[in-house]
Amino acid sequence: MKKISNYVVNIFLIFVILLCTLPFLYMMLMSLKSTTNAYDLSLNLSSMSLVHYKKIFSDPTFIRYFTNSVFVAISGVLLTLFTSCTAGYAFAKLQFKGSDKIFFLIICTMLVPSQAILVPLYLLVRGFGWVNTFKALILPLPTAFSVFVMRNAIMSVPTELIESAQIDGASNFKILRSVILPLVKSSMLTVAIFSFIGAWNNFTWPLIITTEDAYRTLPIALTTMKTQYDSDVGLTMACAAITFLPPFIFYLFLQSKFEEGMALSGVKG
Amino acid sequence: MKKKKGLSVLTPYLYIAPISLILLTFVAGSLIIAICFSFTKYNIITPAQFNGLYNYQKLFRDSKLHLSIINTLKIAVIMVPLEVTFSTLFAILIRSRKDTLLGKLSKAAIFIPVLSSSAVVGTVWKAILNGGNPTVKTIFGIFGIDPTMLLGSSKAAIVTVAVLMVWKGMGYYMIITLSSLMSISDSYYEAARVDGANAWHLLTRITLPLLKPTIIMNTFLSSISAMQVFDMVYTMTGGGPSMSTTTLSMYAYQLTFKNAKSGYAMAVSNVLMVMILIIVLFQQRFLKRDASEI
Repeated sequence: MKKISNYVVNIFLIFVILLCTLPFLYMMLMSLKSTTNAYDLSLNLSSMSLVHYKKIFSDPTFIRYFTNSVFVAISGVLLTLFTSCTAGYAFAKLQFKGSDKIFFLIICTMLVPSQAILVPLYLLVRGFGWVNTFKALILPLPTAFSVFVMRNAIMSVPTELIESAQIDGASNFKILRSVILPLVKSSMLTVAIFSFIGAWNNFTWPLIITTEDAYRTLPIALTTMKTQYDSDVGLTMACAAITFLPPFIFYLFLQSKFEEGMALSGVKG
Repeated sequence: MKKKKGLSVLTPYLYIAPISLILLTFVAGSLIIAICFSFTKYNIITPAQFNGLYNYQKLFRDSKLHLSIINTLKIAVIMVPLEVTFSTLFAILIRSRKDTLLGKLSKAAIFIPVLSSSAVVGTVWKAILNGGNPTVKTIFGIFGIDPTMLLGSSKAAIVTVAVLMVWKGMGYYMIITLSSLMSISDSYYEAARVDGANAWHLLTRITLPLLKPTIIMNTFLSSISAMQVFDMVYTMTGGGPSMSTTTLSMYAYQLTFKNAKSGYAMAVSNVLMVMILIIVLFQQRFLKRDASEI
């Protein structure tokens, strides 16, 4: 009896695995087929080709979207790491007036629903004259969550280490850079991954704050490609695959980091 | 020496300045804009004109707004129970197989949709459902479903969007639930088994009660994300057919970018904000009460 129910559960889980992965396999398969037979699902290797990838990578507009995505995501990661490490250090180890209250206010911004403030944020950034600029894409990326993660990580660094560095005459910044940060590398990696994926996958914000190809990112290419190339499934799927792969590859190598970060974000809620 | 001391008092503020400035500008700034402009008539091009409570009075007569509130609630009603049930179920099943290959594979597979962009998910599912692929048609045919109608009919589209939101989001809640399952000590189960408890008893008397805070929190997190649905709708249906999938955030977007009614759009997005705020307040009280129960 126990054995049978075990089999049923296993079969159920295999079904779930298929349900979650087949759409992505379909995407990869379609992207590798030449357009004429894009709709048959045969796995015949001779009918596979990289023709769609060659085509989109020879399109200067697509290359622009791709490099924009890389640039915005990397800048977003660096900015997030900088703001969260400095603020995390201050909140964890430095004494100053109002630190509790300011930290509470910063954490409160996590309660503000990001999609609900998109249109007002657009009006605000438009008021700065930042429509179609990289600063509009990058500057709003850092989150209070990353400060929260870095503060918790830095709090676990022994205060004696910091004190002995102070006695040696090291400045606050030097202490942060050469004593603390090397000890919290793992949390920095978590913050980096989460901010990279957030920035890379971001769809709504780039969609509304950019109108020119020169500033648009890959997820937007997906919706504009469809009209540009009409109904060429292969090309759209190749573009989807290129958007999909970087976070996926990160996940393959750093699975535990993802789970750590997810669990933390659950705790905060 | 004295000068240096004066500087060091300011140093902490210097360290928190970058993130404070960013959050103050973009988050607090947006909230202020949302409130101020909601009292104006504003089309982005000509300067805003104060028109008092007109936008808020309009909320009560705007049938399109009422429809988008209903659509948003429909998505939440379908999405939240499914997402919470499935994520809990999968977490429990995977926990019992945590060291097997199948357990690891299922955990990884369920998480893949979470880390992919909604633009990718929307585009790929749309291609699958509307692409007219004969194999896909056959598979859906087994269940008597015409895949093109799933996004094409105004009755089915909202259910499809909600179900695909579950498909995309459940891995996130599964990981949260799994991490709290891992913290339940094996000794509870061993002790119960010694007392003759069967699998059903273990589930209902130990696992679920201990998971209760996590399940409650997942319910709230899932509700908040259901209220905000935008990108999946935008990429799959664009709000159609005939407004059947237009959610509140979609409607606020259309008002600003298609109808040039930004002042009114602010009032609409404030409605969404208030709805989410109510959920958050509920959540705070609920979780506090739950904590005091234990």
